[in-house]
Amino acid sequence: MKRVAVCAVAQHKCDSNIWHKRFQGMLLDVLEDIQEQTGMHFSEKGGVRSIVSSSDDVFDARTISDNAVTDVLGAHYREEEKMAQEGLNGIGYAMSIILSGHDDVVYVAGHCKESQGESRNMCTNLSYDPFYGRAIGLDYTNVAALQARAYMEKSGLTEEQMAKVVVRARQWAAKNPYANATEQVELGDVMYSPMLCDPIRTMHAYPVSDGAVAFLLASEEKAHEYTDNPVWLTGFGSCMDSYFLGDRDLASNFALKNAAGRAYRMAGVKDAKKEINLVEVMDCYAYQQPMWIEGLGFCGDGEGAKFIDEEGPEKYNVNLSGGMLSGNPIMTGGLYRAAEAVIQLKGEAGAHQASDVSRAVAQSTTGGAGQFHTVVVLEK
Amino acid sequence: MAQYFGTAVEDIFNTMEERFLPEGTVDVDVTIGYNISGEGGGHWKVTIKEGTLKTEDMDGEVTDCTAVLNANAETFVGVTLGKIDAGEAFSSGSIKVDGDLTVLIAVLPKAFRPFKPVVKASSIVESVEERFRPEKAEGVDIKIGYDLSGDGGGQWTVVVKDQTCALKDVLDDDCTVVMRMEAQVFVDLNQGKLDGATAFTSGQVKIDGDIGAAGKSSSLFEKYVAEGAVEEQGEELISLKCVPSINQRYATGPLMGTWFNGLKEKKFYAAKCPECGRTLVPPREICAQCRVRCNELVEVGPDAMVTLIDVVYYASPDPLTGKIRETPYTALFMVLDGASRDESFAHDLNPRDIDRIKPGMKVRPVWSEKRTGSYKDLLYFEIAD
Amino acid sequence: MGKRNRNVGIIGIGQTEYSSHKEHQNQVEMVNEGVRYALEDANITLDDIDCVLHGNMELFEMVHQPDMWHSLGSGAYGKDQLRITTGGTTGASLVCAADNLVASGMYDVVMAIGMEKLQEGHTTGGITNMADPLWFRHLQTGALTATTATMMMEEFGEERAKRAAMKYRIMMDKHACLNPRAHRRFGLEYDQTDDLMNTSPQLVGELRLIHMCSQSDGACVMIFASEEKAKEMCKNPVWIRDHITVHREETFNNFGIEMPEMTHHYAARKLFERNGIKNPVEYFDVFEMYDPSAWWGLDWAREFLLLKDDEHIKLLEDGEFDLDGKLPINPSGGVTASNPIGATAMLRPAEAAMQIRGDAGPQQIKKEVRHALASGFGGTLWSVLMMLEKDLDWQEV
Repeated sequence: MKRVAVCAVAQHKCDSNIWHKRFQGMLLDVLEDIQEQTGMHFSEKGGVRSIVSSSDDVFDARTISDNAVTDVLGAHYREEEKMAQEGLNGIGYAMSIILSGHDDVVYVAGHCKESQGESRNMCTNLSYDPFYGRAIGLDYTNVAALQARAYMEKSGLTEEQMAKVVVRARQWAAKNPYANATEQVELGDVMYSPMLCDPIRTMHAYPVSDGAVAFLLASEEKAHEYTDNPVWLTGFGSCMDSYFLGDRDLASNFALKNAAGRAYRMAGVKDAKKEINLVEVMDCYAYQQPMWIEGLGFCGDGEGAKFIDEEGPEKYNVNLSGGMLSGNPIMTGGLYRAAEAVIQLKGEAGAHQASDVSRAVAQSTTGGAGQFHTVVVLEK
Repeated sequence: MAQYFGTAVEDIFNTMEERFLPEGTVDVDVTIGYNISGEGGGHWKVTIKEGTLKTEDMDGEVTDCTAVLNANAETFVGVTLGKIDAGEAFSSGSIKVDGDLTVLIAVLPKAFRPFKPVVKASSIVESVEERFRPEKAEGVDIKIGYDLSGDGGGQWTVVVKDQTCALKDVLDDDCTVVMRMEAQVFVDLNQGKLDGATAFTSGQVKIDGDIGAAGKSSSLFEKYVAEGAVEEQGEELISLKCVPSINQRYATGPLMGTWFNGLKEKKFYAAKCPECGRTLVPPREICAQCRVRCNELVEVGPDAMVTLIDVVYYASPDPLTGKIRETPYTALFMVLDGASRDESFAHDLNPRDIDRIKPGMKVRPVWSEKRTGSYKDLLYFEIAD
Repeated sequence: MGKRNRNVGIIGIGQTEYSSHKEHQNQVEMVNEGVRYALEDANITLDDIDCVLHGNMELFEMVHQPDMWHSLGSGAYGKDQLRITTGGTTGASLVCAADNLVASGMYDVVMAIGMEKLQEGHTTGGITNMADPLWFRHLQTGALTATTATMMMEEFGEERAKRAAMKYRIMMDKHACLNPRAHRRFGLEYDQTDDLMNTSPQLVGELRLIHMCSQSDGACVMIFASEEKAKEMCKNPVWIRDHITVHREETFNNFGIEMPEMTHHYAARKLFERNGIKNPVEYFDVFEMYDPSAWWGLDWAREFLLLKDDEHIKLLEDGEFDLDGKLPINPSGGVTASNPIGATAMLRPAEAAMQIRGDAGPQQIKKEVRHALASGFGGTLWSVLMMLEKDLDWQEV
């Protein structure tokens, strides 16, 4: 299979309340960033003609949310499709545009401004069926709490281990100029932070965040026009689990294992533990870091808790960005993960640069308690 | 009287008073005319004024109302009962409305409880033969008598024998059982509005003869469903009503912020593209054509030239408040003085100018007295004479 | 556009009946009905599907990420799934996406689902929420405007323009009356032209109620496969030749003294140029157009078919857009007949593909249909245009 190059990425610094900018302004910032890095242009001959955006009508409180941002995507009189899921799926779709031969350069950009709405939980409550799920008050937080309990049961994950995940996330976040929550904390701060939704404590949950991310993708032949240092997108996979919680084994990682299996197969990865040396997971809640790591194959079934204690996160360079726990908006959680993987592979991560990374995996999730997962593999 | 879906046109008008909701019409002042053609049709005029209702049976064609509805009797009854889709009847022209259409859409649902067909005791009894379930009547040999008093009452005998059922218009002397009650009680029982045991216990129903036979008789017949009744037909189908809403806090960003502050000063600010010089009104962060950031703001207007005119007769209700703007109103597309020629700006026209407005005319803005930096600061444009 | 990596064929089409009320089923059941029909049509099972695509508008039914709930009926469980939404064009975007995904080699068989249950929300309110909340929202009235009517009356004279728009409308109703799945089937006759022209209630200017599209519930599902798989699984796959999408900025700045090239025209110009189509009216055998109103349908025929002056009106007046004309438009009855918004733009290629297969039903065009054109519309004049072919014999340009 042909290869797709990531020529450049741009991240808007995340913050819990970007009150002074419209989301259009945030997208313009990342557009200009990519233009500066690569000389990207939109002329009809040889310029960008295909754009993939990612945003959500409920979070933006706008029908056809991409209609609000066509101009700041550079998409005026151009092709543009909106991925109405977490944005990492947009990377997968953009990949298909290039591999199909439909186009050879694709600009991808996602935004989400969680601070605009009164409550994230009110948004995600709307994703449940109006008759039952919504009526009993399900949202992505309390559904995650059920999964957290199930996973603690399965892996023996403790309060202390979850706290360790958060403390480490903040340490790395402090080195990432795009992270939101960078204040340093200690184990006790996390373990005694107020209970949000048992067993999830306030500090186990990702902070409310606003942000935008952009990518420039190109075919192998075209990539050199934009960069001397491309990163290759070699694997993509996703998978849907059941809707009703009672139909799922919440601690099984069914969807993630399938998604990872598909992405690895496409990338020719046989053993993730041996062939991948940087991992970015969308850990909206602390328990998810070990659980998703497990689903991606970096430790055995039910061994995520042990993985934390045995310094697995350092060994595999897990979430050197600080991860979701340091604050990215939900609709772009995976895009920020992939952006971090790209700058690490390019060797442009500055203070939090890992050494000797050659292949990375980025993961994201959409839906309650990881109903749907997406995985991409990136290589130097 | 001609009936459609089991209901006469007259029934609908005769029940208006009892269905009227004064609290829904406190600030309403309208007259609605109805010209219903065909058998059972007629002409009615309904006046709703500040919580009061007057229904008049007219001799001829009704005109000169806020809105006049014209339809044939079958369509009118069908739409009222929800048997015929109102939107489709209206779109296809089988219902025509003269005058202000929004009155019907906005006022009627607030002014009246939905019409429910009047069910008569006689229609229930007269349908027993159709509702009879022979498979349940094996070995049954009974005569059930009905003695219904009051309005709509009468006497009947239902004979069940050899798995057949026959209805007689008289009360036979040799009935197995006779049930005596007010006709309305009988209707309520059959519509599930009244519980049988309660009615018997409270003495509303009197049973002479074999009480056991009376109990068993109900299983011999299908449940009565009034013609035209919608809800009864699918009790398992529920439609859940809710209005989800999430409070929002929209940022203006610096450019829209300047725009709103400009309105306070009666000024329009446009963003100017540094490459093509195009003016964007209201200002945007970027020129979509050149893909460059627009930082420079220039003043345009306040007068403008009209390019296109939309006269709106059907205003859609605000999805959250349910309020509907007054119609007709006029939306203008115009080019503000000093703005680029391909950049149109849309706003409303002063209603007084609705008959005079033409493309190419000069218009000027009319501002609100008290301006707070919101879209309400700009009331509309009017012809600049 | 580069060379296609591999060809993609349409191997299954499933549509629910379109109607204003579907209280008898919930959203999941409606999606499932469409999925079942498509699988039956393709004579395959869910096991054969590699990836599911889903699209509709969240704020129309007020369900956030509805594909999560709909997975109960969409068959996405255990599969790759993507959700793409672009407003009115959603259905067409899904078809373009399915084409790209299969052509890329990432998936062999992709199923795309467009759905909307407009009855469960407030459509005009949903559309109004599209506008910028700070400025444009209070000026918006859903998708209603008479600007096209006004401009056409200016260009062709009031009488001729109004008559032509009504002829277009009645023609659409005649097609819809043949289509058993169409939502609104009024049974209009051409002798009602004068009456409807003058008495149908005015919505905005000369845009009258009869001209405007319906609000419908329904789902449309299509299954796509790579050339190799399609030939193996299906006896008459319909091939996707090419597609183009053109979006534009959101502001209403297109009614100034000078007007920009319409997106539809731009899309057609680019698409036909790169495929060597010199005369679209001659080349295509059917055109399924997303026509939200009779005025727009008629006006846009000129843009999409790159016609000049009154050529489109002449073609209509001469009956050339009828089912037995030179280029039949919307044998399905079009959007004025059926409009489940998230699916509407998929109904176009779905009908076009059935016309090519020759099994469209009572509305089947009598002469052989080999080349089909289908369009989608949404947003602030967004356009999608795609070409479908009966045979894999076109020349790369």
